[in-house]
Amino acid sequence: MNTAPRATPLAWVNGSDAPEKPSLNIGYMALTDCASVVVAATQGFAQQHGLTLNLKRQGSWAGLRDKLVSGELDAAHCLYGLVYAVHLGIGGVPASDMAVLMGLNQNAQAINLSPALQRKGVTNPEALARLVHQHGARLTFAQTFPTGTHAMWLYYWLASQGIHPLRDVDSVVVPPAQMAAHIQAGRIDGFCVGEPWAADAVAKGQGFTLATSQSIWPDHPEKVLACARAFAEQYPNSARALIKAILAASRFIEQSPENRRSTAQLLSGSAYLDTPLESIEPRLLGHYHDGLGNHWQDRHALRLFDHGRANLPYLSDGMWFMTQFRRWGLLREDPDYLGVARQVQQLALYSEAAQSLGVACPSLPMRSSLLIDGSCWDGSDPYGYARSFSLHALGELPDARVGA
Amino acid sequence: MLRILLIDDTQHKLGRLKAALIEAGFDVTEAPGLTIDLPACVETVRPDVVLIDTDSPDRDVMEQVVLVSRDQPRPIVLFTDEHDPGVMRQAIQAGVSAYIVEGIHAARLQPILDVAMARFESDQALKAQLVARDQQLAERKRIEQAKGLLMKMKDCNEEQAYTLMRRQAMSRQQKLIQVAEQIISMHEMLG
Repeated sequence: MNTAPRATPLAWVNGSDAPEKPSLNIGYMALTDCASVVVAATQGFAQQHGLTLNLKRQGSWAGLRDKLVSGELDAAHCLYGLVYAVHLGIGGVPASDMAVLMGLNQNAQAINLSPALQRKGVTNPEALARLVHQHGARLTFAQTFPTGTHAMWLYYWLASQGIHPLRDVDSVVVPPAQMAAHIQAGRIDGFCVGEPWAADAVAKGQGFTLATSQSIWPDHPEKVLACARAFAEQYPNSARALIKAILAASRFIEQSPENRRSTAQLLSGSAYLDTPLESIEPRLLGHYHDGLGNHWQDRHALRLFDHGRANLPYLSDGMWFMTQFRRWGLLREDPDYLGVARQVQQLALYSEAAQSLGVACPSLPMRSSLLIDGSCWDGSDPYGYARSFSLHALGELPDARVGA
Repeated sequence: MLRILLIDDTQHKLGRLKAALIEAGFDVTEAPGLTIDLPACVETVRPDVVLIDTDSPDRDVMEQVVLVSRDQPRPIVLFTDEHDPGVMRQAIQAGVSAYIVEGIHAARLQPILDVAMARFESDQALKAQLVARDQQLAERKRIEQAKGLLMKMKDCNEEQAYTLMRRQAMSRQQKLIQVAEQIISMHEMLG
């Protein structure tokens, strides 16, 4: 029987597009950007596509990764960078083929500094750079996963201010919901995290927001719906139905301000984020205040749908994370950037799902962006781009502190 | 080591299987015939496999098999002298994973148990998926029903009705199905 094509107990449904596996275990972390996954699971979107989604809240990204690789989770709300690190075998786990089914959101992460730094008057990038370079302060920054998006935003932002993220400061990994407690205990001087945890720290008087991730890269890629490649291959109908359910939910959330507000209320529940509504709703609606007295309506706040622009798994988005892994020495050699992105990004499944919902799906899987340091990324020359930065760790072994 | 619960339901209590099982290196717990409460026995012994040795599986045997399949699902292997295909079909329907007529050799036990366990696992997975499908369908029907009631009450279209129900559910941190049930019971009460 070894020659039989991937036999499943449900071979009898072949020939229809009904999900081969109708009940899926979906992992997520308690973050505002898991919204469309939670709404899809609880508000009847999954049912309409023949699925039952069993939501499994995870305590850390490392735990989520292990369950995704072992198959305990069928799919998960996941950091973009984490998927590529697992696929390439970076970070102490053997390489395991992964797939990105769709983008879940853009924007809405932030870098905060501690009240202690605030009291010292370190409330802008220049003051931070002075503190590090002229006064030789050794600061510790937390992010949420060594190869995750928060590590990459933190490194990119620090480097854009002339601070080398691996030489001039220390970094540690802390689960998102524990950032404020670590700041309060004085264990860290700043962190990069997803909302609502930056807003929540500001609300608790535990520091201020120094930079938003969208100020680094407006409409940057952030969380994705990830699964093991084997899942997408073995259950293509389930994977497509899952994309449809979550895409429809993300469209619903952005249909009106009322829907966004109800979404914030749902997320604040103890089963999901278990956080006061006041920490979730303002930034979900784009109302920012940084804890220093500045208020603004952010033009690049959380995007869960944006008419599908937040959801298309652009090849250039996936490739960007690999260029940063290379830049910081997490990859010692250049991968086949385009080839790997083509394997991981499930463009065909996504466009089938998007088309069936009438969601626009641009034919070109690359996009062009201008980042905070003036660099332009369009996916055309990843090899050159990875080498284009004045601060880097191209020639170094991966740092022990970030390889944990 | 595989733990086996052995039920000897043969008339002469020959213990024909026990020796073969021990010889093949299994951890065997023996229980007398099927006058016992099999689900309770399975719960205490927590075996990997249940083996029933019986001259002919009568209604009592089938009933116990059905109960175990429902309350304490385990792979069940039935050894018997009964050749009747009708009886065999009944036994499989009751939840037996393997039906073995005669021919008990120590060397054959392992592959028989392997097949029975694999069969059991795939049956269980299938069953779980079917349950999920049924539940989904039932919930979908209830949500459709509530949506229809709301469309009449609020004189709105389908999409508006869905949006109203979803907003209500989300702002109360509930699932859509919960709000659907509330609408249906409210409608029943108000007649």
